[in-house]
Amino acid sequence: MTIPAFAVERDLAKRALDTARTRGATYADVRFVRRDEENALVKNGRLDAVDRSDSFGFGVRAMADGAWGFAASQIVAAQEADRVGALAVEIAKASALTKKRDATLAPVDAVRATYETPLDVDPFTLSFDDRLKLLMNAEARMRERKGLRTTRAAYAVWREDKLFVSSEGADIAQRLTEVGGGIAAEAVGNGELQIRTYPDGLRYQNAGGWEILTRWDLIGNAERVADEAVALLSAKPCPQDTITSVILSGNQLSLHCHESCGHPIELDRALGSEAAFAGTSFLTPDKLGTFRYGSSQVNIRIDATSEGGLGTFGFDDEGVPASEGWAVKEGIFVGYLMSRETAAALGTRSNGTMRADGWARVPIIRMTNVSVMPGDAGTLDDLIADTDDGILMDTNRSWSIDDKRFNFQFGTEVGWEIKNGKRRDMVRNPTYTGLTPEFWGSCDAICSESEWVMWGTPNCGKGQPGQGAHTGHGAAPARFRDVRVGVIK
Amino acid sequence: MSGVLFGDRELHAIAERALRAAKGDQAEALIIGKTGSLTRFANSAIHQNVTSREAELRVRVVVGTRRATATTNRLDADGIRRAAELASDLARRAPEDPTYPGLPAPRPIPSAPSAYVEKTAEATPLDRARAAKTLCDKASAVKLIAAGFVATNVQEIAVASTLGTWAYAPQTYAEAQIAAIGDDGSAFAQRVSTDVTSLDVEGAAAEAVGKAAIAQHPRDLAPDTYEVVLTPYAVRDMVGFLGMQLSGLAVEEGRSFVGGKIGQKVTGPITLVEDPYDSRSIPRAFDFEGQPSERLTLIEDGVARAVVYDSVTAHRNNAVNTGHAQPFVGLPAPMHVRLEAGDKTREQLVAAVKKGVLVTRFHYTRWVHQLRTIVTGMTRDGTFAILDGEIAHPVKNFRFTQSYHEALGEVRGISKDLSLLVTGEQFGLMTSCQRVPALHLGAFTFTGATRY
Repeated sequence: MTIPAFAVERDLAKRALDTARTRGATYADVRFVRRDEENALVKNGRLDAVDRSDSFGFGVRAMADGAWGFAASQIVAAQEADRVGALAVEIAKASALTKKRDATLAPVDAVRATYETPLDVDPFTLSFDDRLKLLMNAEARMRERKGLRTTRAAYAVWREDKLFVSSEGADIAQRLTEVGGGIAAEAVGNGELQIRTYPDGLRYQNAGGWEILTRWDLIGNAERVADEAVALLSAKPCPQDTITSVILSGNQLSLHCHESCGHPIELDRALGSEAAFAGTSFLTPDKLGTFRYGSSQVNIRIDATSEGGLGTFGFDDEGVPASEGWAVKEGIFVGYLMSRETAAALGTRSNGTMRADGWARVPIIRMTNVSVMPGDAGTLDDLIADTDDGILMDTNRSWSIDDKRFNFQFGTEVGWEIKNGKRRDMVRNPTYTGLTPEFWGSCDAICSESEWVMWGTPNCGKGQPGQGAHTGHGAAPARFRDVRVGVIK
Repeated sequence: MSGVLFGDRELHAIAERALRAAKGDQAEALIIGKTGSLTRFANSAIHQNVTSREAELRVRVVVGTRRATATTNRLDADGIRRAAELASDLARRAPEDPTYPGLPAPRPIPSAPSAYVEKTAEATPLDRARAAKTLCDKASAVKLIAAGFVATNVQEIAVASTLGTWAYAPQTYAEAQIAAIGDDGSAFAQRVSTDVTSLDVEGAAAEAVGKAAIAQHPRDLAPDTYEVVLTPYAVRDMVGFLGMQLSGLAVEEGRSFVGGKIGQKVTGPITLVEDPYDSRSIPRAFDFEGQPSERLTLIEDGVARAVVYDSVTAHRNNAVNTGHAQPFVGLPAPMHVRLEAGDKTREQLVAAVKKGVLVTRFHYTRWVHQLRTIVTGMTRDGTFAILDGEIAHPVKNFRFTQSYHEALGEVRGISKDLSLLVTGEQFGLMTSCQRVPALHLGAFTFTGATRY
């Protein structure tokens, strides 16, 4: 067992809970979080940056007078636990000034439990030299190609140890570990700046150990990535304002799923909590169970137990166990991401998706792993062979969607024309746009399980003050019909 | 001094301890302290109400031309020593970098107007809740729903180095945002001030509620290229994106629209100034390397004049360090941009439009093509058709795909009032603010529309 014992922190948490209750809290929880990270970037043959960081502190969430307050501090001491516990209650009572109804929580079994990310190679026990060598070698291989302006290779290793203690009796300790990275080549010329990356921007990340990065052959793909970046400078433009079939690579589909399914199924958005900032959702509760979100090919799963997912854990930050279920089943919208409070509003129980960005932020509903499940279209080559005319688009470069998650526009690093079942000419600056239900409704083929990969988004922003979250999205390449492509000339 | 402030003495002591513990040829300590309090409301009631007090030390150690950093929020003796030793160890094992010039030598830092207001630092949960209640009540009075926040923030930045650098500045800012939402339309307003007692909460409420009343039941309007009037909320987005490209690094990497064009016309008649000493912004006279930040004219009447640098980028490009290092090492950027005012009232901007669109704000804007400054995004919270100089009716929100600097090629009017706005704070720190006017532009391309 490598999860910390949290003996001191547990005592301080109980002290903060006692203080909160004494001051009038009807519910309170305390999270101690320690986060360790190392990020390195090799650029143009030099180590541009390496930073090792740690952050440790605690946050107290309290309900008093039927309203919420949250306070956090990095001073881990008894007197501070008292101060922060009392402050959370003072803030909750101030919140009650505008209260329309008491906040209520769906029930959860208060458990004592632990969870730890399974891994093979602990990235923090490897030497820095070993970690760095992978980047230096891959980046050097790209630079062998003439015609590149900028080459990058990066890794991120990340660990969070956390203790959750609630006034209901929960006591949960977890250790989550993640590793990510990739390579990128940029070429400039002909009025263009073009980029190719592998395996997914510089943001590929999974839960687990160093084996996550080494299983992608960064060095073996460096030459191809470099060649494609240069080739894009002279590639023909993506066809303009054309309706055609589009095959999205798995990594692009994963981000498309994140934006157009993952966010609109957040129940806090659907109930208006993000209305002034991130926005609301077209998937309002009246649509639950009946709304046709996509074609019958489309099955999207919410699963906080998926191997390697950035949304994989034992318990969320309200002490609700990781769960699995459906967001979209055979094209029908059937499930939300929920908290205890929003679940209560629907008369159900939370499916455990409350997550906070470290100790200083309050938990909010976040995606866990929201994945497009594989179909039966075989391999990517099979899918291309089955397509008469269209464009294959690979790896995200641009993404935007409206505040109800209807109208989207994405751009990818590269595209290839498909003619008569064959991959033909490379095209540059590919983009596609549409409306969410129509787009998913046009999905007529998804590749099989052999092509399915657990991708991730380690930089999902939401909330005020801003919070970053790490979310997982499994996906395989898929085909969409009658899509509008090409919006820049 | 407020209880939420660490103060220069405490931060100096932390920095000195870190520099002493570092094992290298040079060392630098950057400390960022922040107490952020934010009261968030939706459905006309407070639903999140938070405060946190945070401080973080980043130690940069240089060994020859090798360097590394370590960051910690454990500011006791052990935590500081551990961070310094970690950075030292990583630096020793890092590869040599012949392009690295070492830490910048200290230079005199000019005085800047204070951006610290005690009353902002001392604002209480009840103060913020009362302001939130004002915003909610104003909306409820006309059967609208309010969502938004009221925040008060204190941040301190301190930089020290073994070369003798010492720079310290406390800053405060208060902010209110409101979206007033009806059954079929919404509107937005935002106010920012270093002084919470000057935060115009009532004005924000009146603006959002008044505009929401005429934003209901938007009609379809075909996506096309239209004349536009952009409020400062939308202009801030343009200035933010263009600012990213007005750095020596962006030019070096071939992604800047001013690359190779200094001295040439790149936009219409606008003037963009980086002014860290603007008393009506949130001034700070130095950057995150403790170097004095220069006041620079980036674009003068449409002609590209300058880009900003930090120490590393300046050295690599044989340029003068303008003092624009950000907390993220190696990514210089302007942090106090002002788009100079014109001579029109906002009403006059609208009055000059024959057929066009008024945009309140943009949403989810992202690069499509950096070199051409093509950005895509949506309009939201108050988009209107303008006909014959008057707001005719609300329209459903558009998607745009537009080169920002090309859109500034045909500036037909600039408002004479500027709004102080902050970039959406992400992940803990406000690093940049802007003062921007409303603009009347001759052509802006909308490439799609949504259903509301």
